[in-house]
Amino acid sequence: MMDLSEKQWVKHAVFHPFEGFEDMRWKKAGSLKIAFTIVFLFFVGTVVWNRLYAFHFWVSYDKLFNIVPFIVKSIVLFSVWVIGNWSVCTLLDGEGTLKRICIFSAYSLIPYVAALYITTIMSHFLIYDESIFIDCVYYIGLGWSCLLMFNAIKTAHQYSVIKTVVAILLTVAAMLIIMFLLVLVLSLFQKVAIFIYSIYTEIQYRVRL
Amino acid sequence: MQDILKKIFAGMASWVCALSMLTGNVSADEAYDVYNYDRWGEAIPSQAGYLADRSVSGLELGIGDFSSPSDIFRADDGMFYIADTGNNRIVVVNSEFDEVVDIIDSFEYNGDKLTLKNPGSIFITDNTLYVADTDNSRVLRCDKDGKVDLIIEKPISELYPSELTFLPRKIVVDKAGYVYVVVNNITSGSVMYNNKGEFVGFYGANRVEETSKVVWNYFWKLIANENMRKYMTDAVPAPITSFDIDDEGFIYTCSDSLTQDLDAIKKVNAAGYNLFADIETFFGDASTPDYSNNPNNSYVDIDVNEDGIINCLDYTTGRIFQYDEDCNLLFIVGSSGNQLGTFRQVSAVESTSENLYVVDSQKNTVTIFEQTVFGSIVHEATRLYNAGYYDEALEPWFEVLKRDGNYRRAYIGIASAYINQGNYEEAMKYAELADSQWRYDRAFEGWRTEFINENFMAIGVIVLLVIIAIAVVVIRKKRKGGRKS
Repeated sequence: MMDLSEKQWVKHAVFHPFEGFEDMRWKKAGSLKIAFTIVFLFFVGTVVWNRLYAFHFWVSYDKLFNIVPFIVKSIVLFSVWVIGNWSVCTLLDGEGTLKRICIFSAYSLIPYVAALYITTIMSHFLIYDESIFIDCVYYIGLGWSCLLMFNAIKTAHQYSVIKTVVAILLTVAAMLIIMFLLVLVLSLFQKVAIFIYSIYTEIQYRVRL
Repeated sequence: MQDILKKIFAGMASWVCALSMLTGNVSADEAYDVYNYDRWGEAIPSQAGYLADRSVSGLELGIGDFSSPSDIFRADDGMFYIADTGNNRIVVVNSEFDEVVDIIDSFEYNGDKLTLKNPGSIFITDNTLYVADTDNSRVLRCDKDGKVDLIIEKPISELYPSELTFLPRKIVVDKAGYVYVVVNNITSGSVMYNNKGEFVGFYGANRVEETSKVVWNYFWKLIANENMRKYMTDAVPAPITSFDIDDEGFIYTCSDSLTQDLDAIKKVNAAGYNLFADIETFFGDASTPDYSNNPNNSYVDIDVNEDGIINCLDYTTGRIFQYDEDCNLLFIVGSSGNQLGTFRQVSAVESTSENLYVVDSQKNTVTIFEQTVFGSIVHEATRLYNAGYYDEALEPWFEVLKRDGNYRRAYIGIASAYINQGNYEEAMKYAELADSQWRYDRAFEGWRTEFINENFMAIGVIVLLVIIAIAVVVIRKKRKGGRKS
């Protein structure tokens, strides 16, 4: 029973929103390699969505392109979600390990990532009056991913529904705190770097004299 | 010997001539940076649509200096009427602006002699003069000989608060002889009189901008009692500062309020509704993308010429913002400063289809801007485009692009023309350059329809093949599954 390859597990998890992750957990299936691939595709998807969307739906600002916001919107956001969820749920008697949270969360991103690519392609075939189809695909992908994400967290930690909701809300709060600390750390590092650099230049002047 | 000297002198003279011509060319450049807005709303250098030709003072016209002139009006016969406010007179100048035709400073009314006191505005229609005699709190209607047949005074009505003064600043008269007067302490619009001089009502008020004050007032009124309400102040709209009327009878108003942007420039129909309210556009300078620098445009005068082109005069920066009838920015002219083409304190603007006339009430001059070749091509193209002759406008638009490849209106015009012609592929290209999404959408729709019509067979075959391939895969899978069980 359930002797699936890793690729088949991906399909099983996505198309069985309610028991897919339970089966995966039971069989200890899921690979980090696939998870990271999905997150990378998510990152590429956000860039593609912003840059290659058909002109009559979306005007991208062509004067300058900065990759950092896209990294923050995809990879950093995902990492912060995983770490935030892990740190909250270890305190709330969650059974999930960091690896399992990461794999389950990444798998549940699949419908949304697919929607990003599909809508981008669709935008080049449809006119503005037909944009309802694009919205439809986008929101189905988004809703599906949310449902999967909910069940992923619920399964990974073996929670009840209410406890999952509480855990997700707390995770969001934890994410905000982590982001805040990240900004603080970054600015601190910046200050330290400037400090070290100014000492270096000062020494250079003295040595020359 | 003398010959040699002569030759040397002649040579020097020719050099001096050449040099002066060179410097002359340099000074023909504008005293300010000419700019326009690109499709991102960012200021970029642009070709000048107008160049300052000369500035005319009262001394040059031989009538003594102007004294804080505050209005200029061009009559149908081409004569210019200048309200020379500080000198209490109206100066009439010929259409070339080099000779004074008449000076009007006294009027006759039922045998009495009337004089002006700081006249603020003048309007002429059908050989009838209307003078806003500001500090005498009246508006005079007279013929060209100065015979007054009607004096309009402060309205006696419940609608007009009796404690308020009546100082008419600007006047406009429509075809029916109705007189509209801007009084700068009234926020409910201009004061409107019928052709018998009777007060009719107010016209063309601005709307109240939804500021935090409006919201707070709403909130407080929910809980305040009568006594508290007495001390509350209402949020009022910005009063209008000046206006103009076009050939079809629409009135255009402007407002110099620095705090309220809403209805700063508007076109009012007979019902008092702002026709520019639904057009997605902005007037004046744009704020920088990071909102670090917000423009403080305050419009003191507005002018509409016979082609429907709107000139808005900005007091803060001394600039004239020129728009076509659909509120698309055409040119930005002028700046603040002391050189030719720049201003210290602008007060009025008037235009013909070629020239702009700007009154500076501190320099006491009228500056004349002449349309450049570039300006004339843009105007020609705009006129054709707005009249619906898209194909005819194509050639001038390309000419515009040759001279200024950043001119966004040209790309819009070309895209529209190509959509009209059914040249959808080119239209898509130009619509994208013009940043016009809905034109791109229209062109794309046309292109797609054409593409499907031309390749219907190929598409049908591909779709059929895909369906067959899917069917084969599904059947094979089912057979496999069947064997397994």
